[in-house]
Amino acid sequence: MRRSRRRGDDAQAVLETALVIPILLFLICNFIAVMVQVTVQQQLNSATALAAQSRFQAPENAVDAAGMHCCGASGATLGTAGLPTGCRYAAESFYGTMTTYIGLLHWQTATLCTSGGDSGNATTRPVPPIAYPGSPANAEVSCDIGSRKAGGVVVPGYVDRTLNPPSGLDVVTCSASASLDFANTPLAWGVFWTPTLHAHSEALPPPFRQ
Amino acid sequence: MGGEFEGVVRPRRTSRHTRGQAIVEFAVVLPLFLFCLIGALDAGLWAVQTSAEVSAVEQGARIASSAGSTPLSETAPDARAVTAAISGRLRTSMFGTVIKSWCTIDSTGGCAPDSTQHCPSTPAEVQAADGPRVVVVCVSEADPPACTAPPPGQAAQYPPGCDDSPMITVRVIGFVASLVPPGFGPGAGGFELPTNISATTHTLRFAP
Repeated sequence: MRRSRRRGDDAQAVLETALVIPILLFLICNFIAVMVQVTVQQQLNSATALAAQSRFQAPENAVDAAGMHCCGASGATLGTAGLPTGCRYAAESFYGTMTTYIGLLHWQTATLCTSGGDSGNATTRPVPPIAYPGSPANAEVSCDIGSRKAGGVVVPGYVDRTLNPPSGLDVVTCSASASLDFANTPLAWGVFWTPTLHAHSEALPPPFRQ
Repeated sequence: MGGEFEGVVRPRRTSRHTRGQAIVEFAVVLPLFLFCLIGALDAGLWAVQTSAEVSAVEQGARIASSAGSTPLSETAPDARAVTAAISGRLRTSMFGTVIKSWCTIDSTGGCAPDSTQHCPSTPAEVQAADGPRVVVVCVSEADPPACTAPPPGQAAQYPPGCDDSPMITVRVIGFVASLVPPGFGPGAGGFELPTNISATTHTLRFAP
């Protein structure tokens, strides 16, 4: 009788431990996964912010000559011939900054450079940006770098009428999306979610360009 | 009488057994508890440090890309100046980690982020040079190919991108202090975790 009670206590202790340890490990895995997600999100924000800003580091109205290319994260080469040089600068900054945790990310590809667009207001209807002619469609980052007018003049960005109503300001926007996949890491044991991260940044032309 | 005797002895045995079991359970649970506690603390610490590094390198890249020595300069400032500008942000988050500037002194005594400035590519390289729990801030510059004119009579084109502005990379690399005991982490000395965060952008060109 006594022996069986002791056995019962031991079995209960083993059972409790067997229940608690996986729960603890599950919590730790998810805690670390959230930390990684926050860090990757910050890097994505930083990379898109630098990309948007770099569009203005290129000479105004400069256009990439034939044979120019850039720098996909997935190993794809993005042809930039005929596109504004600021577009390649934006991509180079994005890919140059987004160098860590690449193995965990599944990118949602988009058109590298889009053209124009208008946020709209009470009197002007919103106009979505359109793909810049000849821009590669398999980029991990997408930047609205502006439109090319007659005579080769490139107008930066799209018109954001919320910034300087009613006429608005020409701003450059860059965005990127990726899902964070822990499947190939030890965290896969306890992390069953695949968050999708989005980053969106805007940059205004510097004062000497406004 | 026998019942009294049994009544006295039985609880003592049970109490000893219970105490022994509690000690064994405690001995099993304590390492697990410490593992979980240190793991959670370290993950939080690592996240805070990495977060500070990400924002610091972004700030450093902006400074290095826009602040040349003259308004027409395309050369980024001295790497030590960039380090000084962002080290305040790093120090507030990096407990027990030394922050240094990775610098190859040139002939003028400066620390220009030119092509001679080779940043470390792995945290182990930093550890070999500066010891454990040290991160370095490295500023490097990649210049475009020269736009040399083709020889007379040749129709060779300039190399693609020869008139690009240089690209600046600010990197924070090394080992940050952590609670990981020796032998459990990737660092040689223990109590450290590797880090390697960078930001890249083009230098600002004051061209029309």
